[in-house]
Amino acid sequence: MTRHHPDSLSLMEYSAGNLSEPHALCIKLHLDKCSHCRSRVDTLDSLGAVMMEQQPKVSVSESMFDSILSKIDSEPAAEPAAAAAPRVSALQKLLGEDLNSLPWKRQLGDVSVLDITDRFPGQKEQVVLQKLAAGGKAPAHTHRGEETTIVLQGAFADQKGVFNQWDFVVLNDEDEHKPVAVGCEDCITLSVLSAPVKLTGTFTRMLNPFIR
Amino acid sequence: MTTLDQKPASSEGRKDQWSQMLQKVGKNQDREAYHALFEHFGPQIKYYAMANGLASHAEELVQEVFVSIWRRSCLYDWRKAAASTWIFTIARNQRIDMLRKMQRTSAEMPVETEDLWQIPGENENEPVTSLHRLMSERRIRESLSHLPEEQITVIAKVYMENKSHQMVADELDIPLGTVKSRVRLALNKLKVILQDQNV
Repeated sequence: MTRHHPDSLSLMEYSAGNLSEPHALCIKLHLDKCSHCRSRVDTLDSLGAVMMEQQPKVSVSESMFDSILSKIDSEPAAEPAAAAAPRVSALQKLLGEDLNSLPWKRQLGDVSVLDITDRFPGQKEQVVLQKLAAGGKAPAHTHRGEETTIVLQGAFADQKGVFNQWDFVVLNDEDEHKPVAVGCEDCITLSVLSAPVKLTGTFTRMLNPFIR
Repeated sequence: MTTLDQKPASSEGRKDQWSQMLQKVGKNQDREAYHALFEHFGPQIKYYAMANGLASHAEELVQEVFVSIWRRSCLYDWRKAAASTWIFTIARNQRIDMLRKMQRTSAEMPVETEDLWQIPGENENEPVTSLHRLMSERRIRESLSHLPEEQITVIAKVYMENKSHQMVADELDIPLGTVKSRVRLALNKLKVILQDQNV
């Protein structure tokens, strides 16, 4: 179980570039707002650089350098300006400006969901947005496999604590919880699921998320 | 009083030669410096490509990385990352990008590789943070030399062969927990270093 910040092992997998796209997205969204974790990743990136430096080297030819030069000469010089242009965040590219106006599907009581797995073609995990109405409760549930969640808006609380915007949470089958949206906003989270959720309460219907 | 108070002078002294070269490329499109970077990092990146299963595309990856270095060098700020760290992240991103493009057939990629994996120092909101990042490479190098071989092996597989912790466990035929504890032990050592630097 990981709460609030990704653990060092996940950050290392991120730094090495070994995470799936949805998992990398969760980490990136957190890093954008957490300078503490960003600094940990900087150190890990330096570890990567040192590992690369300490491996064997494979010779490269001068002719390869020549073809690199002809590549950069054939490209318009305007590129650097484009590289410096302000970037639209990954979240905006995926979901647009307003999370609240997405085509949410009301699922059960206070819970709405939106499956966005299809935005990550070729990835194995299920990717789901969940919305818990302000003040609302989700039924008690546990998790099969592992579920990585990042809070995109608002906050939720369970027995273990309060999770604010950009907090990072990893839950597994040992974590039964009963989240409640706290504060005056709906709580919206993005979750990456390796397996469907198992309800522990009296519900027997097929359900997904907050309820994940 | 002491020379440490004279920031510009002491900062200049910390800049390693590759970071100086990269800065020259960024500022003056210096091709001699660019060539020196190619001779130093090209062989490392080629090995990196071969180690993680891109053997038949190794040269292509080296080329992509260097074109990207040229294009982005104007954004490089040596105070935010050492050249080798910056170049490692570009190599990593180009590798990911190459694999993504190979695996996608028709489906679009709404999110670009760089939206998911950032290059250090390119976040505009990032305050310039002293020298600890440059220092960290040197200290990592020192600290790695004291790590037991078994820990280095695991880290090398994660970084160079791009194996997940689970895949490393399978390959070495040891439990996942053992892999994780080796990584943790190694990272603890590096984290101590990070704390040192923040003092």
